[in-house]
Amino acid sequence: MKKVVDVSIPLGPVHPCWKEPARIKCETRGEKVLSAEVELGYMKKGIERIMKGRPWQEVLFLAERVCGICSVIHNMVFIEGMEAISGITVPDRAAYLRVVVNELDRIQSHLLANFSFCYTIEHETLAMYLLNTRERAMDSLERITGARVNKAYMIPGGVRFDLRDADRAALCADLDHMEEAVNRYARMFEGGPLIATRAKGVGILTREQARIARAVGPTARASGIAEDLRLAHPTYRRLQFAPIVRTEGDNFARIMVRFQEIFQSIMLVRQCLHDLPAGPIRGGGTCGAGETVSRGEAPRGELSYFIRSDEYGRITDIAIRTPSIMNIDACTHYMLPGVTSLADVTSVFVSADPCIACNER
Amino acid sequence: MRSVIWYLREFLRAPWVHAFLFARTAPLVTPSHFRDYPTLTDVECTHCFSCRMICPAPGAIEVLQEGGAWHPVIHRGHCLRCGLCVEACPEGVLASGRILRWQEEDRTSFRATFRIQVDHAKCMRCGNCCVSCPVNKEQDPQMAGGGHSSNDEVIMRIAGGNHTVIHEERCVGCRTCEEGCPNSAIRVARILEGVQGVAER
Repeated sequence: MKKVVDVSIPLGPVHPCWKEPARIKCETRGEKVLSAEVELGYMKKGIERIMKGRPWQEVLFLAERVCGICSVIHNMVFIEGMEAISGITVPDRAAYLRVVVNELDRIQSHLLANFSFCYTIEHETLAMYLLNTRERAMDSLERITGARVNKAYMIPGGVRFDLRDADRAALCADLDHMEEAVNRYARMFEGGPLIATRAKGVGILTREQARIARAVGPTARASGIAEDLRLAHPTYRRLQFAPIVRTEGDNFARIMVRFQEIFQSIMLVRQCLHDLPAGPIRGGGTCGAGETVSRGEAPRGELSYFIRSDEYGRITDIAIRTPSIMNIDACTHYMLPGVTSLADVTSVFVSADPCIACNER
Repeated sequence: MRSVIWYLREFLRAPWVHAFLFARTAPLVTPSHFRDYPTLTDVECTHCFSCRMICPAPGAIEVLQEGGAWHPVIHRGHCLRCGLCVEACPEGVLASGRILRWQEEDRTSFRATFRIQVDHAKCMRCGNCCVSCPVNKEQDPQMAGGGHSSNDEVIMRIAGGNHTVIHEERCVGCRTCEEGCPNSAIRVARILEGVQGVAER
């Protein structure tokens, strides 16, 4: 069917607002966006192909490098998959330490996502404040795991390093600092009149649309879908985890959900530190043959690994599904059409927190 | 007007003014707990090759002999700084961040076993794997082309027209046989297990 459009405007693949290359083609009439289309494929790496035929100690490092921002959850979901295949149990202390590291990683990922949004709407002050706070989370992670980005912390049957008392005290201090700082920035974001014009009522994804587009993670929770895979995780169940849901479905809600989840993550880490049982951090156990689908809640939504391994624990087949692909789809099909100004396209896209590197692997 | 008041309130706070006037960027120092490229400690290397067998990155670590002494060499740019070699070394030759100290305190280690898998449908019984194997070479220096040996202490040999693995437990996991196989018939599985409180080999 022939559509009457003024002009089709391409954004990207190289765009100052985006961290990674993607191309959005917007059909517009005047300033109003009629429809949008996304083009991916600028950073395909073929990681799944490289993983085949390798044992866990090699695949682990490749899995982490699927996504630089949420590397811990890739590590965790892959290792939990291998544990499910081989029937390896994890000591309690290791299970809690995994949650601590995972939640710290979520904090830094959400702070980075909110930084990107503030940066995109040209509120650089708030953006840099958030980025500055993120360093605290990164420092905590470095103290526990020894590395900032690719931590390689979890192994089948446990974790690599224990949490020392000195590091625990430093972590508690960092959590207090982050809570106070993020609290202030969240209030700045919530009450900022100029932020509201770029965030409230822009890029609306209704609950029904989110359901049809299979939106996941904070994007879905900002549209009123109370789905979070942490609900199904045994350790999170012990911590009485409940997902955070908002109903507005606009840019504002997506960013606020992330702010609220940062507070929730801080509480979860505190609770883990409080409940942290004594005991070993590694239970041992070798990987064997089997096939499984392992799922986990990444900072951006549901992440799943299909893993098949041979008798020696080598990966024979692996398929990764990352959360961003659904959110990018929801963004281009439902959030972008109807946006009244072309200037809002970038901020709407960034508010869905797309991770292109995850998508294309 | 509201924005102006907001900005004044934001930037006239005492901590902000103090930071604006007196803030100095902290010097870029790598913290001591950072898991950096492994460095050598003073302990003597026994060239057991555990570090090489555990390394996930191709070409990142080599164990070389120089002036009669063996020592591991880390190739920067290939090394991922994962620290697995530090944990795998039974002697504590390598150090990176706080890994070595923590490992001693927590008594954590990795236990590696190696399994040899031969696809007899692909194997041509050429004996390249048996000849190239460094452990075989130590046991039976006379082993020549064809891979035949009368020594019962070798890992594998060609006997009775068939490839037979005798002492799988002696395999050190170097994968030289894999590289020497013209038909990709032999594979070595490196099975790794993270353990705690277990005496090292």
